[in-house]
Amino acid sequence: MIFTSLQFVEFFAVVYVLYRLLPHRGQNWMLLGASYVFYGFWDWRFLSLLWGSTIVDFLVARYLGRETDQGKRRWALVLSLLFNFGMLGFFKYFNFFEDSLVVMAGWVGWHLDPLTLDVLLPIGISFYTFMTVSYVIDVYRREIVPTAHLADFALFVAYFPHLVAGPILRASLLLPQIEKPRTITREQIVGGLWLIGWGCFQKMFVADNLAPLVDTVFGPSSTPSGADILVASWAFAFQIYGDFAGYSNIARGVSKLMGIELNVNFLFPYFVTSPQEFWRHWHISLSTWLRDYLYISLGGNRLGTWKTYRNLMITMVLGGLWHGAAWTFVFWGAYQGLMLVIGRAVGAGRDVAMKWSPARILAAFLMFQVTCYGWLIFRAESIQQVGTFTKRLFTAFNPTIATLDSLLVPMLWVVVPLLIVHIAQAREGSESAPVSWPLPVRYALYGAVFYLVLLFGDFEGAQFIYFQF
Amino acid sequence: MAVARSSPSAGVRWLLLLLILVVQFALLEAGLRVYGSFEGTTTFQQLFTTHPQVGVVLRPGAQIRYTTVEFTTDIAINEQGVRDDAPLGPKLPGERRVLVLGDSLVLSVQVPLAATFCKDLERRLNGRVGSEERWRVINGGVQGYGPVQEWFYFDKIAAAFQPDIVLIVAFVGNDAIEAADAAAWLEQGRPLEDKQPTLNQMRRIVRSSVVLQYARMRWDQLSSRWSTGTPERPLSSYLSDPPPIVGQGLEISRKAFGLIADRARGVGARTAIALMPARFQTDDPDYGRLAEIVRHAGGELVRNSASERFRTTLAPLGLPMVDLQPALAAQPDRIGLFFQRNVHLTPRGHDVVGGALFEFLESSGLTKAAGR
Repeated sequence: MIFTSLQFVEFFAVVYVLYRLLPHRGQNWMLLGASYVFYGFWDWRFLSLLWGSTIVDFLVARYLGRETDQGKRRWALVLSLLFNFGMLGFFKYFNFFEDSLVVMAGWVGWHLDPLTLDVLLPIGISFYTFMTVSYVIDVYRREIVPTAHLADFALFVAYFPHLVAGPILRASLLLPQIEKPRTITREQIVGGLWLIGWGCFQKMFVADNLAPLVDTVFGPSSTPSGADILVASWAFAFQIYGDFAGYSNIARGVSKLMGIELNVNFLFPYFVTSPQEFWRHWHISLSTWLRDYLYISLGGNRLGTWKTYRNLMITMVLGGLWHGAAWTFVFWGAYQGLMLVIGRAVGAGRDVAMKWSPARILAAFLMFQVTCYGWLIFRAESIQQVGTFTKRLFTAFNPTIATLDSLLVPMLWVVVPLLIVHIAQAREGSESAPVSWPLPVRYALYGAVFYLVLLFGDFEGAQFIYFQF
Repeated sequence: MAVARSSPSAGVRWLLLLLILVVQFALLEAGLRVYGSFEGTTTFQQLFTTHPQVGVVLRPGAQIRYTTVEFTTDIAINEQGVRDDAPLGPKLPGERRVLVLGDSLVLSVQVPLAATFCKDLERRLNGRVGSEERWRVINGGVQGYGPVQEWFYFDKIAAAFQPDIVLIVAFVGNDAIEAADAAAWLEQGRPLEDKQPTLNQMRRIVRSSVVLQYARMRWDQLSSRWSTGTPERPLSSYLSDPPPIVGQGLEISRKAFGLIADRARGVGARTAIALMPARFQTDDPDYGRLAEIVRHAGGELVRNSASERFRTTLAPLGLPMVDLQPALAAQPDRIGLFFQRNVHLTPRGHDVVGGALFEFLESSGLTKAAGR
């Protein structure tokens, strides 16, 4: 049941009516049940994993909260991490590591019989695992007090707006909102509806219209020119952004309607001028998770220059692997790590206000090219395709009329409306800015979004890319 | 915040919103008329006119250039109202004619005339060694036709084209649903638009506006999700447990095709049927995508079930029949057989279909029956 389907509209209509009728505790129980129904629509069998993760981490956190012996606490934390990452590793990475091991053994002349297990990837496992892990670590660090209510914790883990594709929420943000009665303001309803509409625009108009252009170039039998590859990489940059930011905005909007605030996950990531800045604006909930629970745990930047670089590389390679069990994601992570190292070495990375000047526009455009090469690695069907496409970019650029007619013009037709609104939003630093714009401007924007989604949006229910992560 | 500082009344707000929506509508309408590239554009609609006993037909003498991101095609309709550069005069001595009936998959506005499977079939028939017959394959396809409209078109117009063979190309993707929708027409023996003036008026308004045609297309997509659980109504023909309308549509198709065969016999022609598959029946990623959508809606998409249902339903007619799906599915690059956005045959797909139809006509002995 994806957000842009009629099924979800029906589902949420029922949930919302019940939500408005019930008292606080009833709301929480109803939301918990609805979240399990929502998750069960994909594959009810994986509900047991969700429940297992919920119960184990609730109990471990309770133990960590009352135990004072640091040694025992450490062991409890290790057990929780082993459980969570063990499940994630098995379901997400078993086939990948096993296949890779067989191939690598072949390189040194060993023949290994592959153990074939048809392991299905439970949807959302990467997201809820990171949430429960952050909760246990926060309790271990005594940054938060564990909740005493299993139902509240279960709702924190399974809350349907974030369950299958984030944002990866912290307990310190969501649990207090679950535990306390909520009020719904008019501003939240207006803001929530805008975010839902804007998210639908990003997904159905931007991402879904760019997908066929990208697929044509990255398809297995395609032999595109370097110019085609460049434009398709730009298109994919906006496709994945529209897809994921759209999902996040709909999630935030739906949650806002229920009076629950989720964190901003994307903040104009293609207007930045350095890799450091990019990761403060792209998938913010993941990048802050990696920073707080991995990079800092590895020593962060406290151990000297070279170890900082090492920590950046480790963090980003693992971050790449989080996105999927394939070598292209590992390479993409390594590329991001390398860019962060270079950015740090040259002193880039200050977060500057979104004020437009020719120099800033040029810097943002160049940074966008750096980002797009990363997307080329990310989108490629294989490492071989990365190599072939990279070579073509530099040796067979050959732009043609077809590049213009079939790729660039259709891409600009979709991307330019997004950029126009984004430039205006970025001046105020928020995608929610339009709800406070003057009435004629606001209505004109609402109308344009309505028409563009209705007339040119994809209504065939294309899946969100990030569901596979 | 503006919400707090500006306080026009609710009436003024609604009026402003309405005004803005109307202005945007007008701008979109103008923009799409000039730059639009879909079948609702007025340029494309110039291809069609209405016939009192048939409904929509191709406009004799119409000429347009149709452009989308995937193709640009020059389309000409001859004086008899079929897609051809040359008129259809009386049959010449030694000339034999194949009339191909069908919908947009036969008309094929996506490719130049020379690349259509009708012309491909014509070349193959005229290229047979040792034959002195001159074949003419007439493209009798009209966008949006279903079995009932094909019957009307043949009965009132195309039977006069003096065909030797009538080849009905049944698009298994939507013919059952379209036949079911036209059940009352078949019963009455004519299109029934005249008896629904209000609905007709609305249809005319919608047809006159590109924006409204887009909106209607969206409405059809959304309403099909409500009614059949599939992204498009015709997909219900492929469900493991199809709704009753599919069975009704199959029966009406058989009746309409039977009427065509009887009428063809009356003008000395033999009739055959070709079953045209939908793209996803040969395109694996497309099938995977649609199967997933249908699965989420609680159904099961069975890939070739509509072809099988048509074959079974039409078998009692006793007409020669060929399923084009195996020939298309046997191609090495199956994804390139249909356009990706406009889900019709590419020139390569036409080439494969032309070859398969030629083999079929030869092997079934239809081409040998010169003296009928």
